[in-house]
Amino acid sequence: MSCRTRSFILICCLTVLATGRSFGAEPLQFNRDILPILSDHCFACHGFDSKARQANLRLDTQEGATRPADSGMQAIVPGEPEHSELIRRLLTDDPDLQMPPQEGGKPVSAEQKSLLSRWITEGATYQKHWSFEPPAQVDPPQIPQVRHPIDRFVQARLNQVSLNPSPIAAPETLLRRVSLDLIGLPPSIDELNEFLRASADDQEAAYLDVVERLLSSPHYGERWGRWWLDQARYADSNGYSIDAPREIWPYRDWVIQSLNADLPFNEFTIQQLAGDLLPESTESQKIATGFHRNTQINQEGGIDREQFRIDSVFDRVATTGTVWLGLTVGCCQCHDHKFDPIEQKEFYRLFAFFNNQDEPNLKVHQPGTDLAEVRAAQKTAQQQLAEFMQQHLAKLTAWENRLTSAEKNKLSKDAQRALETAPEKRSLAQQQELFAVEVGKISSEFQTLQQQLTELTNQVNGIATTMVLQERAQPRQTTVFIKGDFTRPADPVTPGTPAILHPLVTTSESPTRLDLARWLVDDANPLTGRVIVNRIWQQYFGRGIVETENDFGTLGTQPSHPDLLDWLAVEFRSNGWSLKDLHRLIVTSHTYRQSSGERDDVRRIDPRNLLLARQQRLRLDAEIVRDVALKASGLLSEKMGGPPVFPPIPDGVMGQGQVRRSWKASTGPDRYRRGLYTFVYRATPPPSLSVFDAPDGFSSCTRRSRSNTPLQALTLLNDAAFFEFAQALQKVIAEDGLETAFRRCTGRTPDADELALLGKLEGLSAARVLLNLDETVTRE
Amino acid sequence: MLTPSEQLRQQTRRHFFSRCGIGVGAMALSDLIAQESPRRSPAADDSPLAPRKSALPPTARSIIFLFMAGGPSQLELFEHKPQLDRLNGQPIPESFIAGKRFAFMDSSHRTELLASRRRFQQHGDCGAWVSDLLPHTAGIVDEVSFVKTCQTELFNHAPAKLFMNTGSGLFGRPSMGSWVTYGLGSESNNLPGFVVLQSGPRGPRGGGVLWSSGMLPTSFQGVPLRNQGDPILNLSTPAGINPQDQQQVVDTVRQLNLKRLVDTGDPEISTRINAYEMAYRMQSSAPELMDTSGETPQTLAMYGIQDPGESTFARNCLLARRLVERGVRFIQLYHTNWDHHGGPTENLEKHLPEVSGQIDQPCAGLIRDLKQRGLLENTLVVWGGEFGRTPMGEVRESTGRNHHIDAFTMWFAGGGFKGGEIYGQTDELGFGPVENPCHVRNIHATLLHQLGLDHEHLSVRFQGLDVRLTGVEPSHVLHELLS
Repeated sequence: MSCRTRSFILICCLTVLATGRSFGAEPLQFNRDILPILSDHCFACHGFDSKARQANLRLDTQEGATRPADSGMQAIVPGEPEHSELIRRLLTDDPDLQMPPQEGGKPVSAEQKSLLSRWITEGATYQKHWSFEPPAQVDPPQIPQVRHPIDRFVQARLNQVSLNPSPIAAPETLLRRVSLDLIGLPPSIDELNEFLRASADDQEAAYLDVVERLLSSPHYGERWGRWWLDQARYADSNGYSIDAPREIWPYRDWVIQSLNADLPFNEFTIQQLAGDLLPESTESQKIATGFHRNTQINQEGGIDREQFRIDSVFDRVATTGTVWLGLTVGCCQCHDHKFDPIEQKEFYRLFAFFNNQDEPNLKVHQPGTDLAEVRAAQKTAQQQLAEFMQQHLAKLTAWENRLTSAEKNKLSKDAQRALETAPEKRSLAQQQELFAVEVGKISSEFQTLQQQLTELTNQVNGIATTMVLQERAQPRQTTVFIKGDFTRPADPVTPGTPAILHPLVTTSESPTRLDLARWLVDDANPLTGRVIVNRIWQQYFGRGIVETENDFGTLGTQPSHPDLLDWLAVEFRSNGWSLKDLHRLIVTSHTYRQSSGERDDVRRIDPRNLLLARQQRLRLDAEIVRDVALKASGLLSEKMGGPPVFPPIPDGVMGQGQVRRSWKASTGPDRYRRGLYTFVYRATPPPSLSVFDAPDGFSSCTRRSRSNTPLQALTLLNDAAFFEFAQALQKVIAEDGLETAFRRCTGRTPDADELALLGKLEGLSAARVLLNLDETVTRE
Repeated sequence: MLTPSEQLRQQTRRHFFSRCGIGVGAMALSDLIAQESPRRSPAADDSPLAPRKSALPPTARSIIFLFMAGGPSQLELFEHKPQLDRLNGQPIPESFIAGKRFAFMDSSHRTELLASRRRFQQHGDCGAWVSDLLPHTAGIVDEVSFVKTCQTELFNHAPAKLFMNTGSGLFGRPSMGSWVTYGLGSESNNLPGFVVLQSGPRGPRGGGVLWSSGMLPTSFQGVPLRNQGDPILNLSTPAGINPQDQQQVVDTVRQLNLKRLVDTGDPEISTRINAYEMAYRMQSSAPELMDTSGETPQTLAMYGIQDPGESTFARNCLLARRLVERGVRFIQLYHTNWDHHGGPTENLEKHLPEVSGQIDQPCAGLIRDLKQRGLLENTLVVWGGEFGRTPMGEVRESTGRNHHIDAFTMWFAGGGFKGGEIYGQTDELGFGPVENPCHVRNIHATLLHQLGLDHEHLSVRFQGLDVRLTGVEPSHVLHELLS
């Protein structure tokens, strides 16, 4: 092949890659080829927002674009670019006529101009925005020797640019990758050895076994729970400047448990948005409504409380839109959406669903507690104790009479007060107090009865409280707020959903939050399935099939693999919304299992690796950076759930907020819990988490950034907690050798050069080096 | 054309295998990527903080923002209003306050006017009015542009501070310093590009979110220089580790990371190698920055520093100059507490003079010091709080004023601002502007402009919006004040 031919092919490949199609006979598609241009350059003034619309011209609908505008001219004459005012305005040199205007407009390239012209020649056909159309029912393309449906989609696309997928990753890399991805912990030495042995026998079977083991591990719920908690903007304080601590960890535990139980995503959704409205809702379903209590509460003096309640409702609407619909409905708080067909009024119709709740705290009981039964038992226990004390009253009186005043003064305040109370007026608690001093102490029967009562009382009181939503009896009146300003109410609105999407079904007079939740996971919803599978895909490859994971609207990016996205969304729904099935499907593909090593041909043809000819090295999430160090050094406490913990943080950190909060470092195993259990104050988040981009909980986070900074280096090198981990890892080196310690950190067996380098260091230094390696904090 | 990281990779691949072999300590990666000078040259590396060329020709290279946290009373400092003094104790005419909302609306807020507590004089060639609380500031008025009609939107401390810093009252938006380092990178090779210094009885309301990078990567977050312990969190080597061990650890991490870079080709590893180099340099450069023993007694006297070891606003002003000298892009000083409502520990009689005394000489000293070193031309110094205070008094134990967002004073010096300018004029009571109102957005637009950034183009896409420091409402650069 001559040089020239080769470079010609390369140019074609690049063109194909850049635009997702080849120029040629194939007609242009509005969504793929034209909409991005119009949306980027025209819609701000000629789009959906009627208030911002200029010259009475809208280009977002065929009807608008082909109707005479204020000027009397017709922007688009299908089939006749030479008579289309749009083309004339794009091509003219006259600054008064030129579009987009020089002031404030984004210039349109020559290539884009010719595309527009060709599209008009071809008839200027419009399409509904792709994500508002239901996912297509597509079959994976046929590729010889490729069985896995995901691989068939991915390789079909790679074939178009003559790229091959990468070979499967080395077994130890693969095991560490899939362990970190599914449970957020690296494999142990035993697990590594076992997998290497089993892989030698039957690679495929060994891997499938591992996937099943990981999916049924309770740590799966921790790893993927954190993924959801980011979106739920979970943290342990009230935010704003006062930032007082709050108790809502039962919601966090609910998320972990629900994921472990593989609660179908539609149920998962309904319980969180409207668990309190389900018929005879359980305590667990009420706890789930904590999702929308993760908004901030302003406790500053001098404020208008209604303003901040409304702000929290704004956040609930925006978060619901982002998390489930992947739409930026928050834009409509102040005005009609400039780019997507959502009106400001429709924002306030969504707002109306979330404007009718009280925000109480709920007592949480040990799972499985039958409260009526426990209350009855508590009453019986009280009676038994009272009877016992009645029977032994004489002994108590005798004891009382013997007491000297010196002895009396040594008693507890409560006991002294009880003594001062006349015997017949003493409460049960007071009697108990006195009995416990001496008479009861020597009676095992009293001890048993008292202990029994304490336990039952604790069960009745519950283990914690948590913040929940509760519908108000009297609904509030919802209105549009002009420019989103709560002091400027306008037209009243009723609850409802955007007209561009599928209809809302309700059985009651006025639609409820429960109706909204069911609408979100309705089979007819074109968005939710795609949005969720995309956001899970993003965790595995560092980027979603739609890169703008929180914007599936017209300004979002086009999917890199539209058919794959639709196929996954349909598959997800038809598998009963099982998240575990979805995870299994992705991690068993070759696309997931292939090596992440850079390749010259991939770098040349697809420098951003959009087409996935290789896997992607990804720096670990903040919490997992900690978890890996804990696991490698043998310190990790695997205890799950419960109140958040306080691992040591540097002095002076808590002074950064307006109100200095105390931070008493946990002792014992709580010092070594997984990162997701660390207490997070929104205003002063733990530095070793925030430095690795843990979200701040101020708003929903659908994608973490992955920064790479000197402060991260200082944390891993010098932070007291990481130093403590290094000291523990030093012991591992001393007992099991450097090679084992290296494998515990990276999963990989070091080569002779690496061992030689590390071997020159004394144990503690070697341990510190291992915890600082890029490889240790990266999933390869 | 190779990217810097590819270049590095090619160099290191050759370097690694042909010249060094593994374990040869002489392999100095720093020769390849570090610069001798503390200022780095553009495109020296591909880290997020590598300096970038600005869109417009810049006038200023650095900004020092002297943030007077709590809301200083312009009526006791810069706004001379004889009519207010005459109407002391009388209710403010309803026309001023109809439809307005104030903090503490339901409790201590009142509508009776309160005469200024201070005496005013005109100073300098420009004849700017300055009260007797700021005698040193009065001496630099000809270097300064005053804006008397600053306006903001939120009347409580934390939201208003956020607004001044991020252009929004919502938590989670990038602060000015983050925008600037996002847009321009940093010229400092061994210090963060955005540094925060604090003084006063407590931290500013709002805390760390005021220097947060919001939805921008954390590389652009402000780094607080701490007054106690390490100047930067986790800067010092763990106890019991000697410098040789630390050096050995850092060297070995670098060599193993380099090997992994060669094996995998992932450019993120070269970024991490750079980050470790920078972190290692910070371990010596930050203590060097904080060590002011080389400053002359004359310099210390200029700032009014009595004990250079004591952490004060004055020392922070001196550190700000030292940071500018080292190429740091954005330096923010917070000094509390300016919240003079009239409570027992926050009144205009006793506490305003105290806090004014703490900042007056250091501010003037900073301007003079920058000027004598030829740094003022390229350094923009900004003075102001999150809002001002009402012409009406507040009824608490002693005299005070409520928060006021309609008109307050800020000043600007150096970095291309004219000296001796007074912009904007308020009504006879100092309640609202009668000429040239200046929204915070215009201040933001102007600060960015002086650094060579166009506020309409410096944006990041978030939740469907091109988020900008100046938001979506119209704003403009204050060209009248620029030389």
